[in-house]
Amino acid sequence: MKKSLKIAVLSSFTLLGLPRTLKETANKLGIEPEIYLGQYDQYTQEIFNKNSGLHRFRPDLIFLFLDTRSILNEIFFSPYEIDDSERRRVVSEILKRLDELVSRAANTGAKIVIHNFEVPDHSPLGILENKQSFGLVEMVERLNSDLRDNYRSSNQVFVFDYNAFVSRLGKKEIGDPKMYYLGDTRIAVKHLPALAGEYLAYAKPLLALSKKCVVLDLDNTLWGGVLGEEGMGGIKLGPTPEGRPFWEFQKHLSALAKRGVILAINSKNNLAEVEEVFAKHPHMVLKKDDFLARRINWQDKILNMKELAEELNLGLDSLVFFDDDPTNRELVKNFLPTVRVIDLPADPVFYPGILVSVIKEFNVLQLTEEDKKRGLMYLAEKKRRSLKTSTADLRSFLDSLNLKLKVLSADELTIPRIAQLTQKTNQFNLTTRRLTEETVRQMVQARDYLVKAFQIEDVFGDYGITGVLIVKKSDQDWLVEDFLLSCRILGKEIEFAVMAYLINQARRVKVKNIFGRFIPTGKNDPAKNFYKQAGFVEAERKKNGEIDYVLSLPHKNYPKPEFIKIINEYE
Amino acid sequence: MNKLTKILARILEIDERKINNQTSPQNTPTWDSYNALLMVSEIEDAFGKNFTMTEVMKVKNVGDIKKVLRRHGVKI
Repeated sequence: MKKSLKIAVLSSFTLLGLPRTLKETANKLGIEPEIYLGQYDQYTQEIFNKNSGLHRFRPDLIFLFLDTRSILNEIFFSPYEIDDSERRRVVSEILKRLDELVSRAANTGAKIVIHNFEVPDHSPLGILENKQSFGLVEMVERLNSDLRDNYRSSNQVFVFDYNAFVSRLGKKEIGDPKMYYLGDTRIAVKHLPALAGEYLAYAKPLLALSKKCVVLDLDNTLWGGVLGEEGMGGIKLGPTPEGRPFWEFQKHLSALAKRGVILAINSKNNLAEVEEVFAKHPHMVLKKDDFLARRINWQDKILNMKELAEELNLGLDSLVFFDDDPTNRELVKNFLPTVRVIDLPADPVFYPGILVSVIKEFNVLQLTEEDKKRGLMYLAEKKRRSLKTSTADLRSFLDSLNLKLKVLSADELTIPRIAQLTQKTNQFNLTTRRLTEETVRQMVQARDYLVKAFQIEDVFGDYGITGVLIVKKSDQDWLVEDFLLSCRILGKEIEFAVMAYLINQARRVKVKNIFGRFIPTGKNDPAKNFYKQAGFVEAERKKNGEIDYVLSLPHKNYPKPEFIKIINEYE
Repeated sequence: MNKLTKILARILEIDERKINNQTSPQNTPTWDSYNALLMVSEIEDAFGKNFTMTEVMKVKNVGDIKKVLRRHGVKI
């Protein structure tokens, strides 16, 4: 549902194209504004005349955009033809006039946003500018600091830091000289979308559209690397080149949390390992209790997200989601379109900057004590309700990924990677045997082994070789000695496609049984139920927790995931 | 030719077929100072050219716009 809002803009010059840009930008945010642009340079009459277009329009929000040149007039060009006491007098008169305008405008009941003024980056005096008593630059700086002071405690009047806005875009770039002389414009058309974005930062809180909660992934988002693979000592976080982007990202998040933004976790990880990081990692800025709700588990992220919203008593449209994995982002965009999903850049050096630019999503027009205490309030309200997972929807999403599973033979190109994967993979790893390249090579040469590597691709790209299957073959029985998938590709049902491939191979040579084994390591929970889910039958459970499984062939009804295309390169 | 007519028709809110070399602020009420600025900005963008202020000020009708574009090497 679109929300409507009446926005008036008054200026001392031509704002060519602003109404259209403002409307378009607002529509993208789900806001349907009515926009009133004051008559050219008639802002005083618009405000003082009760029958003016402005008053008849009955705005919710008024922007007053006056600029340095029009407010200073000739003094802008020749500030030193009058002395410093005269310059002080000019500034205090301008402030008085502005205050009259603002208080009259405030009588409409609308929220007022007044621009501050662009501080000139040049002076007729050149390098001696700051030797003057109350010179041109100081005049404008004083205007800006007094404006800020005047409305500091107001809940109705806000000062927009236009000088900072122009500095960010570049004072040299902001205007278009030809359009300035032809049509008295100040800001080039190409910069209007940015200005509209700033304006809407004031509109969103009025419509209760502000975001309230940041939902974070963990691996490669809060720290570098994959905790389950690299362990607490291996993740990147802290004062090193690779650790600092994550460290500072956490510091920015911590500042947001202190102003009342809620933090939550939605991550596929082993809870115990994450708890350990919270408890022991020396550079973990955010502590466990900084997150008001946590979903650290192996269920799908959509379900987790719904549960988080439920637990925090927030609408999904109050959530902003950070995840380095484009598949997860796309999943959330697809199924929970009201969640704001941040497209994290591939390189973490840009993470802190992205977060700073997202801050305006959390704008409120007033920071209350409740905001600062919100954490506690939510903790009190915390309650968990069960939600139904949307398996059918998830299936159609996986369908749209165009997943391809390439089966590669073990050769000199793939053996090093196969050995490396057995060394590194902890989570989806059925037996967790660490193999050297030499061992793998011997198995390949022994001929009674099937050694395969799997390369995964989907619409987001190529994940590379991320799976290994090693099977010991005899005439009647095959034994799966090693089966692992890198955590990067979990949640896509790749494991069932691999098993479908294996069953198919076994049936061709009339094998009777496929045996499998699960050896628990404390880290391989995601693989725990695999054989059971794949239709194997438990054969033996040993004291140390190992479980042997068997699947008798032919097993015609094996559930092969139809959305994964298996490509066998050597057939 | 088509590109220019399309821009003008959209900004001036008139039928493309009604636009000819003689179309001007005198016979087109929507050709006001505001739309004139929009026209400069959009034509510059569409053709990747930059006009000088003198060139802009000399334009009295659509025929003049074409002359300026030709001077900038646009075949029109």
